[in-house]
Amino acid sequence: MPEPPTLKSRRTLTLRFDIPVSKTKEFWDSLGEGRFVTTKCSKCGKVSFPPQADCPDCLGGAFEWVDLGREATLVTFTHVRVPPASFTQTDPYTIAIGELSRGVKVLAWLEGVRGEEPRPGMKLRVEVRRSAEGRPYYVFVQA
Amino acid sequence: MSRVAIVGTGHSRFGRRTDVNVGELAFESVKQAIDETGVGRKDIRNVFVGSAGGWYEEPLPAVVVGEYAGLSGAGTMRVEAACASGSAALKAAYNSIVSGDGEVAMAVGVEKMTEVDTPTSVELIGRAGSYMWEFENYGMTFPAYYALYAVAHMNRFGTTEEDMSRVAVKAHHYGSMNPLAQFQKEITVEKALGSQVVAWPLKLYDACPLTDGSAAVVLASEGVAKELTDTPVWIRGVGYSSDTANLSRRSDYVGLSATVEAAKRAYSMAKVTPQDIDVATAHDCFTIAELMAYEDLGFCKKGEGAKMIRDGETELGGRIPVNLDGGLKAKGHPIGATGISMAVEITKQLRGEAGRRQAPTRNGIGLVHNVGGTGHYAYVTVLSRN
Repeated sequence: MPEPPTLKSRRTLTLRFDIPVSKTKEFWDSLGEGRFVTTKCSKCGKVSFPPQADCPDCLGGAFEWVDLGREATLVTFTHVRVPPASFTQTDPYTIAIGELSRGVKVLAWLEGVRGEEPRPGMKLRVEVRRSAEGRPYYVFVQA
Repeated sequence: MSRVAIVGTGHSRFGRRTDVNVGELAFESVKQAIDETGVGRKDIRNVFVGSAGGWYEEPLPAVVVGEYAGLSGAGTMRVEAACASGSAALKAAYNSIVSGDGEVAMAVGVEKMTEVDTPTSVELIGRAGSYMWEFENYGMTFPAYYALYAVAHMNRFGTTEEDMSRVAVKAHHYGSMNPLAQFQKEITVEKALGSQVVAWPLKLYDACPLTDGSAAVVLASEGVAKELTDTPVWIRGVGYSSDTANLSRRSDYVGLSATVEAAKRAYSMAKVTPQDIDVATAHDCFTIAELMAYEDLGFCKKGEGAKMIRDGETELGGRIPVNLDGGLKAKGHPIGATGISMAVEITKQLRGEAGRRQAPTRNGIGLVHNVGGTGHYAYVTVLSRN
């Protein structure tokens, strides 16, 4: 059966967001220096990841940065084989959730593993990579 | 509290619907629902339109749908709860009547997902969570979110890829009996297991398709419902809940806590237990999601979802038949329409109008379970003949 006719609109719309990061700048700066830090509420002690200036537990606005170290344990993972549009030029990647110190969990790529090789419970290490634009981001590797 | 019933239903053919735009697609369901009810359009005080949007050209679907069906003037809004937008629209319509804002309301769900290319659709759904922390650098996809749950469930409870394939086989079996379903062909476990990996361990046949479709229901207050129909289906309980945007903030990955809480609230409001449910639709955007739903809805104990599918307990003739319409997997998953489509299915089951797919409904009680995102939102609706 032939496809029904459609009006192939060519009025394109480019969405490019300028995302405010002023309140979490310290995280990205520290990461650039090789430290993985996050926010700890000065009032109730709640440690949050992703970092946030305002405490989701007590709503307090005072916080300090704490270093979570680089060691992690694999919680779960997946190998992505059908990527979204903006990742189609990227090599196939593995996404994992790892647990760091203070019970903080983090989602990031897990590099250097294949198939059913990753096992929940496996020891991981956080490493810093830089995007094509030079921005730091974090990945897991097998420890 | 005043009682509210579903008094009319409409449902479009699901699939790749390049023959209709969003207004025309919604109209197919709106017209059926109005015709079935015999209600005057002027008597429909408010219209709630569930649609996630972003993949079709109209940013204001509520007014586009309203204009096309001659419903302009009704109170209206677009309702968004990701893939649970339909159930959210149903809840909003229910609330409008309970609050005394009119005797009749309509809930419409509609989505047109195939007007953009597939990678763009994949991108739009993949961004649905925490864009900044889980998409920007890591390219999450919707299958990947659920694959993280699948791996954890497999690791904790011994659930297998074959168990998940069985869910797909069941979905296609009932989809083959649903003339409105996107896929109406039976598949085998071997075929499902051998399909392309999209986000290991999830394969093409573990995943619902991208779908265009619509569904609509007319709701009425108790007094008006009895004038309009001899077979009202009452909304006995609605529970809804939510979870964190970031998956990294969840305590575990073997169930959806939003479903557990939504179910608790719905059962409590309806004064029923999971054992009272005759027939259900469960949110099977991925096969693992249906197995977790069995557990989170209390149909079985945590970790025993795979056993339920192995034992055929959720088949027609089983203890609690689930997704006899083919589920999201085979019927299709037009995001905003899905929750309403599920309500239409359970309404038909409770009225005894499901034909070859009819489940026995001894208690006259059915359940709709609709999840938004990866358990970011969850809605559970209990429907009853009484």
